[in-house]
Amino acid sequence: MTVAVTGALPAAAYPEYLRCLAEADESAAVEVARGLLDAGVPADRVLLDLVAPAQAEVGERWARNEWNVAQEHAATHVSEQVVAAVSAYAGVRPERGRVVVACMDGEWHALPARLVAEVLRLRGWQVTFLGASVPAAHLVSYLHRHDAYAVALACALPMRLPQAHRMIEACRRSDVPIVVGGRGFGVDGRWARRLGVAWAPDAPAAAELLADERALRASPPAGLAQLADDEYAGLISRRAELIDSALAELAHRMPATRVYTPSQLDSTVSDLGYILDFLAAALYVDDGSLFTEFVEWLEAILDSRGVPAVAIAGTLRHLSGALRDFPRAAGYLADGYVSLPSPERRASAPEA
Amino acid sequence: MTGADVRDIDPGDGRLATPSASLAPAWRSAAPGSAPPTAVQPPRSPAAEEWLESSRAPAGRDWPEIAEHLREGVVVCGPDGVVWHVSPVAERLLPEAVPGGTLANFDGWHAGIAEFTHHGRRLRTRRVALSAGRGCWYVEDVTEHLGSVDALAAEQARAAFLAVVGEKLGNPLHPDRAAAAVVRLAVPALAEVAVLVLAPRSGRARWWRAQRAGDDGPKVDQGLLAAAELPSSVTDSLRGLTPHTVDWLAEQAVEAGWLPGLSAADVCARLVALPGRDAPVGVLLVARPAARWFDEEDIDLLRVFAARAGAALTTALLYRDQAEVADTLQASLLPAEPVQAPGVQWGTAYRPAQAGLRIGGDFYGAHRLPDGGSVFFLGDVSGKGVEAAVFTGQLRQCLHALHRVEAQPARLLRLLNDALLETTLAHGQGRFATLVLGVVRPHRDGGLALTLAGGGHLPPLVLRSSGAVEQLPLSGMLIGVVPDPRVGQVTTRLAPGETCVLYSDGVTEARGGRRGTEQLGTDRLVQAMTGCQRMPAPALAERIEQVTCDWLAQRDHDDIAVLALRATTAGRPQRHLHAVPAPVSPASRAATP
Repeated sequence: MTVAVTGALPAAAYPEYLRCLAEADESAAVEVARGLLDAGVPADRVLLDLVAPAQAEVGERWARNEWNVAQEHAATHVSEQVVAAVSAYAGVRPERGRVVVACMDGEWHALPARLVAEVLRLRGWQVTFLGASVPAAHLVSYLHRHDAYAVALACALPMRLPQAHRMIEACRRSDVPIVVGGRGFGVDGRWARRLGVAWAPDAPAAAELLADERALRASPPAGLAQLADDEYAGLISRRAELIDSALAELAHRMPATRVYTPSQLDSTVSDLGYILDFLAAALYVDDGSLFTEFVEWLEAILDSRGVPAVAIAGTLRHLSGALRDFPRAAGYLADGYVSLPSPERRASAPEA
Repeated sequence: MTGADVRDIDPGDGRLATPSASLAPAWRSAAPGSAPPTAVQPPRSPAAEEWLESSRAPAGRDWPEIAEHLREGVVVCGPDGVVWHVSPVAERLLPEAVPGGTLANFDGWHAGIAEFTHHGRRLRTRRVALSAGRGCWYVEDVTEHLGSVDALAAEQARAAFLAVVGEKLGNPLHPDRAAAAVVRLAVPALAEVAVLVLAPRSGRARWWRAQRAGDDGPKVDQGLLAAAELPSSVTDSLRGLTPHTVDWLAEQAVEAGWLPGLSAADVCARLVALPGRDAPVGVLLVARPAARWFDEEDIDLLRVFAARAGAALTTALLYRDQAEVADTLQASLLPAEPVQAPGVQWGTAYRPAQAGLRIGGDFYGAHRLPDGGSVFFLGDVSGKGVEAAVFTGQLRQCLHALHRVEAQPARLLRLLNDALLETTLAHGQGRFATLVLGVVRPHRDGGLALTLAGGGHLPPLVLRSSGAVEQLPLSGMLIGVVPDPRVGQVTTRLAPGETCVLYSDGVTEARGGRRGTEQLGTDRLVQAMTGCQRMPAPALAERIEQVTCDWLAQRDHDDIAVLALRATTAGRPQRHLHAVPAPVSPASRAATP
């Protein structure tokens, strides 16, 4: 079997695998993966070239509103079973130290972290995967009980960066080096650098970093001088009040929201909460692009679900008024506002 | 020589306490060619002005005497660099400088360097241009001054080092981490190589070693030695016997293989015991090049470090021993995953209130029945934390035993009630539980037949294949409170793909929303499940956990438990797997570029 052939096999099996995910057909999906392994494709290639891109596609379909949350969950579950099967098939004996892989508390997208865990396992590490949404206290007490060579922490959403930072600090206090990954730290890992923590863009890079203990321990100092202005703390303490006022403003501006069902109201409240949490995270790492990227993403998500961007634009305007005394936050809100399509902005402007 | 030059070197600390010193301010400003008096000088009385006037001439005469008592030596050179005049202090500091010679012909003198060592003294010089191309060198002996600066810097370095030690060892650590941290901290602050040997456990001693390796921090490794192979000095030290200097210590360390590439002659070594609870918890061996002998201050620092390291290791070992006990007990109290049963797909979620504890007052489980069915249950006991968890353990054991004699859910629940009442009365503790207990058997028309009994617990939800969610009408009284309680019972059938969900009140009573005070409620739970009929049971259980935790948004919560059972879609025709490629034949392989 040549490298070229084994390299092309995962791509050939990809459409069928996606179909298994769409039908939530666990056993068929496992068969696809097993077939590749039988044909000589290395286990880590199956994980990285078949399961990982399929999972990314699942996320895309959810974002485009082609799949609902239930389908996304079911597909993810199937992929988890596939990962377990691939790992069992390879059956690598651990000969290196223990690496603990965990997802941030509140993070339910465990599959990317699971893939990292399995790739590390395939490279001989003794991996403990603590799963999705690991409370910091649980992670720390695990580190006290079991000697870990390193922790790999995944964060998918930048809004959890402040909590991620606390978790990183907790690991450091246990004298366990930590490597982070996931979209939450920015596509180029720039927010990991801001927090002063080692970052890996993907599973192979994480494996490489773990192999070099000194590089792992030599983390740059965190650049968090901006927290001295208390904007982050101020925003967090005013969160509930800001959601209330944004909701009132929305009801005033868009009468349709007044007759929302309870579940529509819940999701509006949680969307407003996201806006504030991403804004807070941007303040935490002192980077407005974090918030702008979020606004663009939210606009796309809501657009695919028939919610006009004008709703966001008006809320951003309202918040920047309410946060007049927070110069950094107001600046980020203004940048986020500008990133929206201009007709929406005009529509959201109050009538003269 | 100008008055301004002299003023610059006044140390202002009263050390120029010669008779002429008290006159110095007046003399300076009056010296020939001096700058005009500056604003900083205090206003003078008319008498002082008069005195000044009269003292101008004597200042010139007194000059050699005054210069003799200056702290700085003075060397005056001509335009060609030839020395014209050397003050007594300069003569002492620079004996090579003689009138008629030059300053260029002795070591260390470079016009550009303002500070150098000469005859064992640290000298600081500066050159001031005088009129007509002449130059004046001021030479000061700063040896003592620098010595005290160095001592201060060393003291600050020690304080900073101990602060780092406190920070790194002040948190509870895993014993192995603590040991690695101890040796890592010791290098390079205390030694080039540091070896920590822990007190032997069952005849074997573990050791950790840090070696200096460039600027990135030390290289740490570890090993194991039989207690009998330990160097005698280490063994003695572990018994708390040794003085701190040991003959042949370096030789013993080399012998043990701890100082690779070094010979005993090259290094000086020290051994210090790390205090433990009764005997030392370990010993620390530090070694560095013979040229850097350990002085009194180094030894003091080593002792302070050893005390902190000993405390950290003792805490870590203590914690590990306790954690081992706690772990074993916790493992026995964790809900056991349901036993596989034909036609049933189980899904569970469990999140105790205290995340660090892993156990709580919610419980679930399932056992196989001899007739091919399964008995399953989910419940919640009164109280929280460890006590509640222990009670769930008793309850689960009760059920484990009782299901062998009674498989009818309502009667089994009553039996459990009697057993609990008995224990409660015996121990005088008022503990009770709410639970749903059911029996599931394959239905003769496919799918599953369920019989459920309720003991004061939240009624189960059923996700139908239409995507709709219905609540089973199940009520009943608390278990373990009164004899012969009212127990509700309901039966239902799950078609293939339908799921029955049991959950604890930690789900529906989760507080969240805008202000964190609103309960999640059954409506939101039903909403979250609606349309999820294609989800496998584990995914559905996780979804409920996720929706609950999202609602909580990191707030404190009660124990959360979910048990989902789904009727599997058995009898599905085996699919043909198009995507699995046939083994590649040699011919097609050859065709591949």
